[in-house]
Amino acid sequence: MTGRGDARGAKGSLLLRSHAGLVYLFLYAPIGILVLFSFNQGRQTASWEGLTLAWYRSLFSNGLVLGAMRNSLVVGVASTAVATLFGTLAALALGRYEFRGKGFTRNLLYLPIIIPEIVVGAALVAFFGVAGVRLSLATVIAAHVAFSISYVAIVVRARLSGFDRSLEEAALDLGARPLATFWRVTLPLIQPGIVAGALLVFTISIDDYVITSFVAGVGATTLPLQIYSMLKVGVTPEVNAVSTLLLAVTVALIVIAQRLQQVPVEQEANR
Amino acid sequence: MKSGQAAKGGRTAYGLLLPTWLTLGLLFLLPLTVLLVISFGQRGTYGGLRPIGDLGHYLAAGAFLANYQRSLEPIYLQIYWRSLWMAVLTTALCLAISYPVAYYVAVSAPVRRRNLLLGLVVVPFWTSFLVRTYAWMFILRTEGLINHLLLGSGLISQPLELLYNNAAVMIGLVYGELPFMILPLYASLEKLDLSLLEASADLGAGRASTFRRVTVPMTMPGIVAGIILVFVPSLGQFIVSDLLGGAKTILAGNLIQNQFAVARNKPFGSAVAFELVVGVLLLLFAYAVYTRRRGEEVLL
Amino acid sequence: MKGRLGGVLAVALAVALGVALTLAACGGQGRQAGGGPAADKRLNIYIWSAYVPKEVIDDFSRRTGIAVSYDTYDSNEPVLEKLQSGVADYDIVVPSDYMVRILISQHLLQKLDQARLPNAKNLDPRFLNRPYDPHNAYSLPYVWGTTGVGINKQKVKGRLDSFAPLFDPANKGRILMLDDMRECFAAALKYRGHSLNSTDPAVLKEAADLLKRQKALVKTYNSGDYENILAAGDVDVAHGYNGQLAKVVAKDPRKFAYVLPKEGATIWVDNVCVPARARHLDAIWAFLNYIMEPEVNAKIVNAISYASANLPARNFIKPEILADRAIYPATEALARCEFLEDVGEATTLYDQYWTEIKAQ
Repeated sequence: MTGRGDARGAKGSLLLRSHAGLVYLFLYAPIGILVLFSFNQGRQTASWEGLTLAWYRSLFSNGLVLGAMRNSLVVGVASTAVATLFGTLAALALGRYEFRGKGFTRNLLYLPIIIPEIVVGAALVAFFGVAGVRLSLATVIAAHVAFSISYVAIVVRARLSGFDRSLEEAALDLGARPLATFWRVTLPLIQPGIVAGALLVFTISIDDYVITSFVAGVGATTLPLQIYSMLKVGVTPEVNAVSTLLLAVTVALIVIAQRLQQVPVEQEANR
Repeated sequence: MKSGQAAKGGRTAYGLLLPTWLTLGLLFLLPLTVLLVISFGQRGTYGGLRPIGDLGHYLAAGAFLANYQRSLEPIYLQIYWRSLWMAVLTTALCLAISYPVAYYVAVSAPVRRRNLLLGLVVVPFWTSFLVRTYAWMFILRTEGLINHLLLGSGLISQPLELLYNNAAVMIGLVYGELPFMILPLYASLEKLDLSLLEASADLGAGRASTFRRVTVPMTMPGIVAGIILVFVPSLGQFIVSDLLGGAKTILAGNLIQNQFAVARNKPFGSAVAFELVVGVLLLLFAYAVYTRRRGEEVLL
Repeated sequence: MKGRLGGVLAVALAVALGVALTLAACGGQGRQAGGGPAADKRLNIYIWSAYVPKEVIDDFSRRTGIAVSYDTYDSNEPVLEKLQSGVADYDIVVPSDYMVRILISQHLLQKLDQARLPNAKNLDPRFLNRPYDPHNAYSLPYVWGTTGVGINKQKVKGRLDSFAPLFDPANKGRILMLDDMRECFAAALKYRGHSLNSTDPAVLKEAADLLKRQKALVKTYNSGDYENILAAGDVDVAHGYNGQLAKVVAKDPRKFAYVLPKEGATIWVDNVCVPARARHLDAIWAFLNYIMEPEVNAKIVNAISYASANLPARNFIKPEILADRAIYPATEALARCEFLEDVGEATTLYDQYWTEIKAQ
């Protein structure tokens, strides 16, 4: 009965929907350009010169770009997985427990967000040099994990706060052990926060240029680095083609995820 | 809360935090300490560091503070002010634009569409930021999309200067930061208890009043999270203002980048960077004090 | 319930991983050309993104069986950064002239084995024995060029032979300058008749004032794709490097021209060097010798449109490139050109002024 659509009157709802629509348009305008010009015959983005698939064809023989895509995905998946885990644990610790060093931990987690990327990059390279750690894809992953943990922690923490603990306490009162309670009550309830956090840091990792440029070793060129150097040489629509492909893959992922969620559950409808 | 839990709390918390402490300690604290030490140094002739002959004298004479003294000169203060202003504006715009969208997705939209809509917010950002920025340049430039359309339809006779100015930079910055505002807002709004809104309406409050006095306070954690995630990186950014602003302004991020790259003056660059960090920490500290006094939730 | 979304995430990650692995399988090849290499038959190159002659590299791998991988950069600073860190694994780097001096002074390069580089005799003596590396102990010239002005002839009137259009109020809002401190100062200093390596505070102040006044006329500072901005019509006058501007000119010579200013401009040469810690020495000498072969060198020039320092290669370079005055200027035109050199302590003064100029 309390359908969420009733929260506002019909007029407010229209306004809300139009605004959201405009924002989505704003978000996708450059994307549209991007995709369109990946089919452009001309090399410069300055003018439209006809349809072609040539750039996609040359892309598949461009080992540099493919290698960079592979690197970006590997770094993205690995760093997201680790950072989401560490960050969620950290958010739980900060949201649930009182302990000595809580303030210190908070500030520690703010650091990666506060410090300008260029400083982080320079500091990391200096540090790796001192420690004798050879630059490679692993150093990129390490750097990405380091700056991603905080974002996950913040998003999950926002989800945790104001959390209705009575559900947990009810489970505990009913005899469930703390670990089971966590696994079957707490975790599902904070899941949207974890997913949001994971999406956020994957995004950040895929797109990171500054820090990665400092800590990437031989053969660890990621997509942003590759694209940046290609853009410097001249805007080839190959870059647009890469971006369009990446876009298509991620959209496909989202759609799959959406389909898998279509199993109706009574609780969801009543929230 | 059971007494047994409070006692166990510390150990569990430490266990949960160990991976984070190790990672951040090793990959942030240590490197930054190295950088802090460098900021007390002096630039060598070819970049790098000048060796300090007499350490005692160097410290006693206060020479190690030279970079910090220099960074407080008027020209640099002007740069910090401009960065601050730009970050505030970006954050405010982002918040204003994002809140209704997050509200729509979390509250109004049909439940089964939610993940899709959320995903759609994030998906554009899985393309390259650089290419998206270049796409904005194509849209805004003199012979770009907007001018093409306006000139072609006869609405204007001279092309508009939409690129290489502050407005273009604003567009680029807001555009780039939107998901960092929308996602935390969504996370907070998603668990908003709608029955509270209904109760407020039942008690006679108008929609604006309900929004102001129920919705906003209840989603404050998300708002604060979003503000921090947008404001702070905006302070240190430099790529968007270079590309869309024609590299005509120098912001804090540009200043630092110049010092590390072109001027090869790491000590001075590190000093500026540390001031930036300290400034933001002070802001956060002030906020923490404020919320603690009001008894509200802090960010972490 | 928990399972569902967790399952979705698992699927998503699995798909992503699958894509990554597939790409790894088919994408790994182009980057590393050549057949099954032994561990010591590898070569890692760090080079300007505009200079990669992919075909040439592939040929080398085919000929020698050495696998070559390369990373790219767009300014000299990453080279210094990576070599200073001591943990980057490059065998060959290609820094610009002034950066070679800095690298040598910090002991980051190793001496070239002259005996293993017989093809060095092909090099143009004009670019050898430069002050930054007398006797070429550590470096050999690879490509060279100039920094001049690209002009839209249909929009800019008057004599086109100097830096003047860059500073002319008539071109207000239609000017592009390189986003490069030394290059902007070089233009201002040469325009006023001084050396572009000047360290005299009074001279620098004069140049800085000129640049400050010029800023109001500048539409954008850009070191990346200035030639595209010129071609797209956003500006009519573009400060830039000759190779990229030459491409725009070649496409439409009636509309565009490249000017090597009569006041003298920056002439620069990028050099191949070997980092001190490089290990694959046999492969390194083989590659360096290879790219100095006349035909190979010509292939490089034909591909990247920048002049090389190799004399016999001229026999194989495309005639239109040889005739292109932007890429191969007449010797007289180079008379007043100067190489950039590191200005040492004065860098701080340059940087101070640069900050003031940008902060207006």
